Amino acid sequence: MGVIRFIFDGVREMLRGPREYWAWLLFLSVVVVFGSWQYWVQFSNGLVVTGMSDQVSWGFYIANFAFLVGIAAAAVLLVIPAYIFHRKDIKDVVLVGEGMAVAAVTMAILFVIVDLGRPDRLWHMIPVIGSLNFPISLLAWDVLVLSGYLLLNLAIPFYLLYSRYRGREANFRIYFPIVVISMFWAISIHTVTAFLFSANPARPFWHTALLGPRFIASAFASGPALIIITLEIVRKVSTYKVSQSVISTLALIMTVALQINLFFVGAELFTDFYNEGAHAASIHYLFLGLGGFDSLQPWIWFALTLNIIAVIILMIHPLRKNVLTLNIACVLAFIGIWIEKGMGLVIPGFVPTPLGEIFEYVPTSVELSVSAGIWAFGVLMFTVLAKAVIAIEQGRLRYRDKKSEISQ
Amino acid sequence: MSPRWNATFSTTTRHSLEAGTTVEVPSWAAIARLLVSCLLISAIFSARADELPESPQDSRFEGYPNAPEIRVVPRKDDLFFYPCNQCHEAIQPNAEIRPLSAPHDSELTHGRGLIWCLSCHDVANRDNLRTLLNEQVDFDDAHLVCAGCHANRHKDWTFGVHGKRVDNWTGERTQFSCTHCHDPHKPAIAPRAPQPPPPVRTGLELTPGSEHVNEPAWARPEVNQE
Amino acid sequence: MSKDPGSDDRGKFDKARRNFLRGLGMGTAAAAAQPAWGGDTLSDTFADFFQKHYQRMTSEEITETLERIERKAESRYGVEISCENTPPQPGVVFGYAINISRCKGYRDCVDACVQENNLGRDSQVQYIRVLQMDKGDSNLEHSEHYYDPETVPVEGKYYLPVQCMQCDDPPCVKACPVDATWMEPDGIVVVDYDWCIGCRYCMTACPYWARHFNWTTPEIPAEEMNTDTHFLGNRPRPRGVVEKCHFCIQRTRKGRQPACMEACPTGARIFGNLLDPDSEIRYVLQNKQVFRLKEDLGTEPKFWYFSD
Repeated sequence: MGVIRFIFDGVREMLRGPREYWAWLLFLSVVVVFGSWQYWVQFSNGLVVTGMSDQVSWGFYIANFAFLVGIAAAAVLLVIPAYIFHRKDIKDVVLVGEGMAVAAVTMAILFVIVDLGRPDRLWHMIPVIGSLNFPISLLAWDVLVLSGYLLLNLAIPFYLLYSRYRGREANFRIYFPIVVISMFWAISIHTVTAFLFSANPARPFWHTALLGPRFIASAFASGPALIIITLEIVRKVSTYKVSQSVISTLALIMTVALQINLFFVGAELFTDFYNEGAHAASIHYLFLGLGGFDSLQPWIWFALTLNIIAVIILMIHPLRKNVLTLNIACVLAFIGIWIEKGMGLVIPGFVPTPLGEIFEYVPTSVELSVSAGIWAFGVLMFTVLAKAVIAIEQGRLRYRDKKSEISQ
Repeated sequence: MSPRWNATFSTTTRHSLEAGTTVEVPSWAAIARLLVSCLLISAIFSARADELPESPQDSRFEGYPNAPEIRVVPRKDDLFFYPCNQCHEAIQPNAEIRPLSAPHDSELTHGRGLIWCLSCHDVANRDNLRTLLNEQVDFDDAHLVCAGCHANRHKDWTFGVHGKRVDNWTGERTQFSCTHCHDPHKPAIAPRAPQPPPPVRTGLELTPGSEHVNEPAWARPEVNQE
Repeated sequence: MSKDPGSDDRGKFDKARRNFLRGLGMGTAAAAAQPAWGGDTLSDTFADFFQKHYQRMTSEEITETLERIERKAESRYGVEISCENTPPQPGVVFGYAINISRCKGYRDCVDACVQENNLGRDSQVQYIRVLQMDKGDSNLEHSEHYYDPETVPVEGKYYLPVQCMQCDDPPCVKACPVDATWMEPDGIVVVDYDWCIGCRYCMTACPYWARHFNWTTPEIPAEEMNTDTHFLGNRPRPRGVVEKCHFCIQRTRKGRQPACMEACPTGARIFGNLLDPDSEIRYVLQNKQVFRLKEDLGTEPKFWYFSD
């Protein structure tokens, strides 16, 4: 069976590599094991080992979740130029991008699972067997769209790679409609995640129509940042051909997205601070502190600074073209948006509480360890997937039919 | 006859006389007067006993339209000195406004001087209270006395939105009487210590923030400056 | 109320379960009945895991579940409780009103609620929170939650007890991804504690901070446990699920007052049937100047405040 050989050969490729590759896998595995052990501590003792409380009931886990869904959605920035605009250079790397989407969605789902109070009851979310409150609950939507996105981003590359593996041309009429679906689906995963937050009038910080657009803009700024860095690394550690035009297209998209994102931040600041009412308490807490509590203040200003520096670098053509400054800008933008869209989004929604109480949140070591473990798992997943994808794309992995070999 | 008898039963007569004059009465008239007085006294007392309304239904109080049927938790068992006539049968009624002696509370803050003991307590029969119309009211129906001044509250209480209903939210309504919560002699409820503040989640601590100071506009100094 | 696991009158389900386990090679029924899984029997743990949503269970399954809850309470807390499933009374929708002129901030209601509803003493969940507000100020952000003066009421303050408003258009019910929370016919918004996955999205959605999470397993001293419980109410709850005020469903469905109302010494709390035109709560709504918190959010709370 070709498919079984395909999987077998793919796994074999993942377990093949130079010393540096194994060192990298080992390092990631150690972090994953550590994170798993800390998760066992959390599972045995309950979420009391985290820093969350009734007052701030979502924390570091959901912050990472929101950020990673954005990264996952950003794969569409490679899919559209590759398949709609027939950019050959981008088409060459699109599967690496989809591998990143798979890793990012898996990480996002894992972050939700570790945040649950009763992960043993996960089956309750399965429709028919369990009870999924679709279409009313936004979380139900999120479960469906994320699962669907994961399947789409496994199915399309699977089909394309398997065709390549078997030495045949992939049937355009099969994969193109699914690719189109995945494009819209990518936008939907991040819009649904944004709606998850913005659907709550109880939380004025999130209850804005601008949250959906902000999510997309920041996703399209942070996603390409990661893709650029990753492709540069791929270029360095493998013989895979990554055209500079791919990098420059992504950099251009990232520039515009970052500009739009900063504009949205400015719009939020103006709207809330010009006539400051009770609804502005959360953004006041975030940027200026509230009632003597200001633990997030240095973080958000730091993030904003990083983003501004990044956008300035990107807006200056020579700097955007220069590999070093571009990479710096990518790192700055990635970290800046991770802070702003992660903790800078989730925590202020809970401060002050709907009854006006200010209660701060600090992630505990358990939360940080489990999160590191999940990130390591995602990177590990991406590494092995990319290894196999690159081997197939370069033609080094081919289906060897024993019969045809003998007959030759 | 000694003018003291006259003084006891007809003080007004005595006051009408000029100071210094004495009243001469024939002895037969005095005896007759004495007898009549005794008869009258006993008649008044016995008549009072007959005239005591058995229940508030005899009261002139019309009630409120659509008022629900309520059962009032009796008070008499909780009253330490009740029945009051145990002592008061032997004590001369004295309607003069004055501080009382033990064992009664002599402190009466209710009304801040606008009322005094006999505004609510019946002067002749201490086992009853009295309304503004001088109707006799049993201690278990004290709310009828309160209603004379606190009509709005009484209406709220009758409909169950003031005071305390006991046992259930449906079915027979049993409510506490006014005096269950409000001491009619010193109605202000004294402040007491609250139960402890809410806890914070196990493993976390409450970090004190800055003191919230919310001054109303009239308290801010710049507003008060002329 | 707990029955002996070996007794014959446990019904067909028990027999079917034993056969199933035998078929799996799990050993005899006796082996399956050995307490091992955190104090529960293996069969109970299996039944727990596969327990259906409350609204999908047949009445036999509910009876089974109630018995299992009683057994669990016995093994975990050493207390024999009775767990019931009193249905809603027809023609009843509950409403609550608080007279804020009467509330003096004693927090007797909070204490009574903790006792009545078997709230975890160390998980420190409290369904009711009393806010101390400045007179003349209705801004909740200026409220004091942790007031602890020598005596209450404090001069210049008033008190606002807040608990689940049992909204008619509850945002928490919309938010729940697994339908673990819904509004019962008598208006109480309930939680199926055995169905909740602990995602805490409902806590995010609630504008009144009425929903609370069991970050740890609630610990209740055995001698303080209230043994009259309801499946949707005050039965002992597990760790990792959300819970909230349920208008003392175990009491109110039997005509008794909620514990907070019974405990209030000033009679500030008024509770009753909104559908009964002669009830006290209807009188309040028709004759007093009532308001609700965050009315503009459109959640339609069934919890009013008034002063007089």
